[in-house]
Parts: sequence; C-alpha cells; structure tokens
Amino acid sequence: MKKNIYYSLLISAMVSVSAAEETRQVDKHEHGVGELNIAIEGNAIDFEFFIPGADIVGFEYEAKTESDIALVNAALEKFENFDNIFSLPESSNCNLVNSEIGINQDDDHDEHDDHDEHDDHDEHDDHDEHDEHDEEAHNEFVVHYSFNCGNIKEIDRISFPYFTTFPNSGELEVQFVSEIGSTSFEVEGDEPFIDLKGKI
Amino acid sequence: MLLKLSFSSLYARLVTVGMTILAISVSLMLYMSVEKLRTSAYTSFTDTISQTDLIVGARASSVQLLLYSVFRIGNATNNITWESYLDLVSKEEVDWTVPISLGDSHKGFRVMGTNKEFFSRYKYRGSQSVSIDKGYLFEDLYDVVLGAGVAEKLGYKIGTSLVVSHGLQSFSDHDDQPFRVSGILKKTGTPVDNTVIVSLAAIEAIHVDWSTGAKIPGQLTPIDEIREMDLTPKNITAALVGVKSKLTIFQLQRWINEYPEEAMTAILPGAALQELWRVVGVIENLLLGISVVVIFTTLVGMAAIMFSSLSERRREMAIWRAMGASPFTVIGLLMLEAIFISILSITFSVVLLFCVLNLLQPWIDYNYGILVNIEMLAIKDMYVFAVFIIASITVSLLPAIRAYWFSINDGMTIKL
Repeated sequence: MKKNIYYSLLISAMVSVSAAEETRQVDKHEHGVGELNIAIEGNAIDFEFFIPGADIVGFEYEAKTESDIALVNAALEKFENFDNIFSLPESSNCNLVNSEIGINQDDDHDEHDDHDEHDDHDEHDDHDEHDEHDEEAHNEFVVHYSFNCGNIKEIDRISFPYFTTFPNSGELEVQFVSEIGSTSFEVEGDEPFIDLKGKI
Repeated sequence: MLLKLSFSSLYARLVTVGMTILAISVSLMLYMSVEKLRTSAYTSFTDTISQTDLIVGARASSVQLLLYSVFRIGNATNNITWESYLDLVSKEEVDWTVPISLGDSHKGFRVMGTNKEFFSRYKYRGSQSVSIDKGYLFEDLYDVVLGAGVAEKLGYKIGTSLVVSHGLQSFSDHDDQPFRVSGILKKTGTPVDNTVIVSLAAIEAIHVDWSTGAKIPGQLTPIDEIREMDLTPKNITAALVGVKSKLTIFQLQRWINEYPEEAMTAILPGAALQELWRVVGVIENLLLGISVVVIFTTLVGMAAIMFSSLSERRREMAIWRAMGASPFTVIGLLMLEAIFISILSITFSVVLLFCVLNLLQPWIDYNYGILVNIEMLAIKDMYVFAVFIIASITVSLLPAIRAYWFSINDGMTIKL
C-alpha cells in the first residue's frame, strides 16, 4: 500500500507538471487491443496499425537492456515484411508502394525529478494499475503500409498472420472505410480474417 | 380420399384443432416479427446516414454520439465550441461540414438547428438526399422546415406558426419568438421525418434571454433588436464532415481525437453502427432463440393434444379399419393431420403478422424512428416454414405410432 501511495504521488506529480500549460487529456491505452485502420480509395489501400508494445514484445518501457533491444528490433524486422502481418488475395494484384515502421515512445513523462512541492496530492490513490510498469511509459508500434492494386475489387477478405507472428497479441479493432461507406470489425486469433465482400 | 377423410376428421374437432392452430400461429408470428424487426432495424439504421465520413462531437462513446446526433435517441452528448468547429472547418482534409445543434423540442419532436447545407449534404439510403415537398427552406430567421412526419402528425401546413419549447419535455416555451412553417420535407424514412429544422441563428436567437439556463423574468429583448444581433452560435452539438480523400479520414479522426484545446470525438458512422450491432446482435439472437423455443413448445403442445384426442378417437379409428384402412393408413392420416395443421397455422400466422405489423408500424416509426419493412416473405422465410413442417411431422410421429398400436390391438372392436 505504501508503495502504491508512492506511485500515486509520483504520477499525480507528473500529470500536474506536464499539464501546466495545456488541457489535460490522456489517450486510451488498452493492453491486448491493437488498432487497425484500413482506407480504400481508387486503386489505393492504406493500412495503419497502432499496437501496444505489450502485445508485440511483452513490455512497454523503453528498451534499455540488450535483450529488450534485441526483442524490439526483431519485432520491427517482422513488420518489415507485411506478409507476417496480413495477407491480401493474390488476384487483387496489390503492390506495396510505401511503408513506415516505428515505435511511438510515449515519453512525455520521462523528466520527473522535482516533485517535492506536490506532496499534497494524497487523494490520488487510484493508480494501482500502474504498479506493473517500471516507468510510466506506454510504447506503441505504429506501422503504416500503402498499396497500389491492379484489381482492388478482388479484395474480398484480408487475413491476419499477425496473430501467429506475435503470440502475445490480443484482438485487433479494425475501422474500415471505402467509397461505399465505413464499417468496423473485431478480429481475434481464433478467426483471424475480415470479410469484405460487398464493402469495396 | 385420404385427404378428404383427414380434413373432415379435423373439421369434426374444430374447436380443439382451432385452438392448436391459433397457438402455433401466434408462436410462428412471434418468431417472424422478431426476425422482421431485427432486419428492419438494421437496414433502417444503416440506411439513415450515408456519404458522411465523420461525425464530430464532444468526447463520448462512438455509439452514444452516433445515436444522439443522427438518431436523436439516448443520452445527450456535450456540446463543442464554435471555435473548435471553425478549427475543424479550416483543416485541409475537410471537404465540407454541416453543424447541427440539438436540445430544444416542439411537442415532443426534436428541434435541430443547422444550415442550408444540411439539405444538400445529408444523404440516406445510398445517395438519396432530403428534398422539399412544399414551400421553401428557411429564408427568414424565424422560418422552420418540418419533417414529413411532424407535419403529418401535427397537421401543420405552410404558414402555421409554432413555438419551440426549451429542452425536451419542459413547460417553458420560447413563446416570445414564434416560428412560421416555411417548408415541409418529403418523407425519408429516417429520423429527419420527425425533426423540426431551424437555422443555427434561430437556435441562438431564442436563447438570447436565457443566458442563465432559464428565462430571465422581466427581460425580453424585442425581436427587432434580436434580428440586429450577431447570432453566430457559441456552440453546436455535432458536425457532419466529408473529407476530400478517404485515405485521409483516419488522419483527420486522429487530429480531432487528440485536439488539445477541447475534448472531442470523431467517429465513422458505419463503424460506430457496426459496433452497436455487435452488442445488439447478442440480444437479437437471444430473442430469436426464445421465439424458437416458443415454437417448439407449441409443437409439443400439438403432440399432446393429438395424444389426448387418440383415446377419444379409438372409435373413429375402428371405423377406419372397418372400412379397410390398414394400420399404416392410420399413421398416414395422423401425419396428414399434422401437415394440415401446420400449413393452416403458417397461413394464419402470415395473415396475423401482416395485421400486427401494419398496426404497429406507425407506432414503432413514431417512437423509435425505425421503419418496419412490410414486404412479401423472403426465401429465408420459406426455409423456416419448411423446417417447421418437417418438425411438426416429426412431432406427430409419436402420437401416430401410438395410434398404430391402438389400431392393431383394438382392431375393429374397442375394449374401452
């Protein structure tokens, strides 16, 4: 409990420092839930992944030890080949035109040293869930692929080897948009595909 | 011959058989109406908004924002400031935006403030747009455009004057600033039908003397003075947004969701609707499951009635046997009877279904904005009927076999 209070103090202090000049907002962050956005227009199809570090490498602090760095690099390498992540029907004839692979290190909270003046924040004790982190950081894999397709209408299904590539992964929340309209899917490892018949 | 015999036998037991048919028809109707409501609700929801790429409102769950801004159901979301809206409008990804403002009502119908672009940008059922049936869109500050349903239910015509109430069910009216009906829209089958549409400036105008959330007693700004005022809205409920390229939707969505000055949410209408349906789907399946169980129960009931009638009908069967019917004919007769009952029940249930749907349709439309599709039966329904007939034959086998034993044992003489 004492430890919890310590962390609460630390966290509330960090929040107050970083919030001094701006409105306070914190993005959602849920372990086990990656986000995927798919947009289609003309012959182009874009994929954007936002996946919590925990789902990929099992931790979310900044990799500092050699083994952690190796893990992150191995994961990034897997993203380099999109076949590890998802697959499009061959008949759609899609070619990768651009990809960006990176980690969004949420390091807003790294510089916390002078929190003595914040001792009066005793009422913040609901931060227990942060105990599991060594540092308050949530890194996220941010990956972007753009394709150009010869026959985009042939994409009737996209499957996700992602779930086998990264065994720690949970579900993917997919937002999909094309000229016909938008829809969403929840994809999990037991049914690792989305059905796009009539949606493109 | 067999058919006629079976039919006459049924006719002789009109009351019992009639009640059985009624019970089965009602259960079948229950199943079909659940199925109809389910598909109608889905198409009605998905057809309500199309070609809008994003809906932007205050931070809320996507389903809540969608339901409130488009369907006007559920809890109100907060408003967003006009400044944030202008920031959004100036984004390069944005092609068009339509601001909407909700909160007031007229006799239970929602009043929506928007601009004229709403009428050209808002699309439903693919690419249909709202069009004016009578009159014209608002020209004057105090002009209102009525949805077809509002005009019909309240009997309003062009030129009718009306007063907007503050809030949804409140006794305080904006009676100092009456409106005049300038136009009536064509029926769309969407919540627009049940909406009273005014300009954003009008929403601002009727709240001029309401700065404290209620009418300030004694203070009444003359209408002429209000007309002179700057009536740019201070806040709006939501904005419909179209983007130039679909490929930039998510970028814009992220910008809105992370907009530092104000907590906002941008949703993709179709995606949010699908999210809602993942939840509703569970309940739908539950309802369907229950109605299947009800059908099964009535089938068992039918078998029970056949069983109990068997002992009464031992004489009848003896006569059949005397006339030369084999025990198998007895089985056939009973199964024919079951087929008769199920076909009659199906016919009756379809009639019942259409009566009930016709009766309830206006009420469901009025209260929930869901237009139940009363159309001819689909092929899927035929499958259901076929399965039902097979099930009823199977169920009737039990009493039929018993009748077979009876007829073998009794022969032509009955030892009662």
